[in-house]
Amino acid sequence: MKLDDPVDKIADHSLDNYIACHECDQLIAMPEVLERNQSLICPRCHSKQLTNYANSLDHSIAFSLTALILLVIANSFPFLTFESQGQVRTITLVEASYDLYLEGFYLLAMLVYAFVVFIPVFYLVAVLILLIPIKLKLRPPFAVFIGKTVSLALPWAMTEVFFVGVLVALIKVMELANILFGISFWAYAGFVLFFTAASNVASKRQLWRWIEDAR
Amino acid sequence: MHAEESKVSATSQQKQIVYAKGTAASHGIANCHVCNQLAVSSLSYCPRCKGRLHVRYANSIQQTLAFIVTAMLLYIPANAYPIMTTTLLGDAAPSTIISGVILFIDHGSYFVAFVIFTASILIPIAKMLIILWLCYATSKNTRLSKLELTRLYRATEFIGKWSMIDIFVVAILVALVQVTGLMSIEPGLAARAFAMVVILTMIAAHQFDVRLIWDRQQQS
Repeated sequence: MKLDDPVDKIADHSLDNYIACHECDQLIAMPEVLERNQSLICPRCHSKQLTNYANSLDHSIAFSLTALILLVIANSFPFLTFESQGQVRTITLVEASYDLYLEGFYLLAMLVYAFVVFIPVFYLVAVLILLIPIKLKLRPPFAVFIGKTVSLALPWAMTEVFFVGVLVALIKVMELANILFGISFWAYAGFVLFFTAASNVASKRQLWRWIEDAR
Repeated sequence: MHAEESKVSATSQQKQIVYAKGTAASHGIANCHVCNQLAVSSLSYCPRCKGRLHVRYANSIQQTLAFIVTAMLLYIPANAYPIMTTTLLGDAAPSTIISGVILFIDHGSYFVAFVIFTASILIPIAKMLIILWLCYATSKNTRLSKLELTRLYRATEFIGKWSMIDIFVVAILVALVQVTGLMSIEPGLAARAFAMVVILTMIAAHQFDVRLIWDRQQQS
């Protein structure tokens, strides 16, 4: 939904009825109701402010839990198997960055592991610690701290980039050897989907609204 | 009104920002960077998340430029040194980012060549130039409208992490291709430099405050 009227004057005590666009600072009066799956768009710079997803709390928890379970599976089974000249090499997800470590690329190995596994896990666990108590109508622990760290961590989760990187690498070695996909590979593919869905539904503004309501 | 403004800034020798009507800043309200809570801008800390409150990011342009210049310098070793070394039957062949792309064109894998070229050469260079251009556009009129500049920024912010593809490709190849005595792949120095380029350009894009573009008064 688009609002055309720029706000001219606002009453001092009614700040809660407004939001400011994060990209152009336009003040926008919050509409009374936002239909299901309707987004609020800034009238000036057309950036999306928030979307009213149906059952967003339930969906966030469900997507996050699913993603977390899939990632546990992705970390405990073989990821890819490389067969060439009678030699077989099977790697797990951790080894994808651990071999960089063995080559002496310590920082790079840690960065790859952080972007691919650690930061997404951190994000999902933090969101669940926040949302499950909210769902159970309890006070979430460290709500403000989690809210802050979650929005800092999210831009550094590069799960989908890693997945495309894996595909490109496979095209490179396809002609050299026989590649077998492990359970872990498919689990990671599913994880990418659910992680994207989870981080999309629980947008920054939405998370802070839940934190606000729970206090 | 514009004439008046320029007189004020000329006499006081001080940059005075006049915020556009209808922005939070023009009402004396700050939008918390951390939690998007609106608060009176005279407060130092956000009442909701206790984060530091600024009307605009502090020193946004300076910090963005510092990160971009560092990234540009690091992009030189990222291209000059090999990103990985393929050893085939004891014969080591180092390959840089560009030679890797050329190799794929020679092999006829145009799609992979296209992906690597886009992710490792086109996007990083375009990103650095666009951010420099945006920094310039916060103080001078440009041919692009504010809306187009904002769209450009949105695109750079979205596309930023996709440059990391090349690093992940190297990581996977290093782990996967190890046939004892026959073939192995080792990472090269450029991988470190290139990873830093991607990270620094991402930080630069985060540091850039798009609202500065909208704050600029239109001089026609």
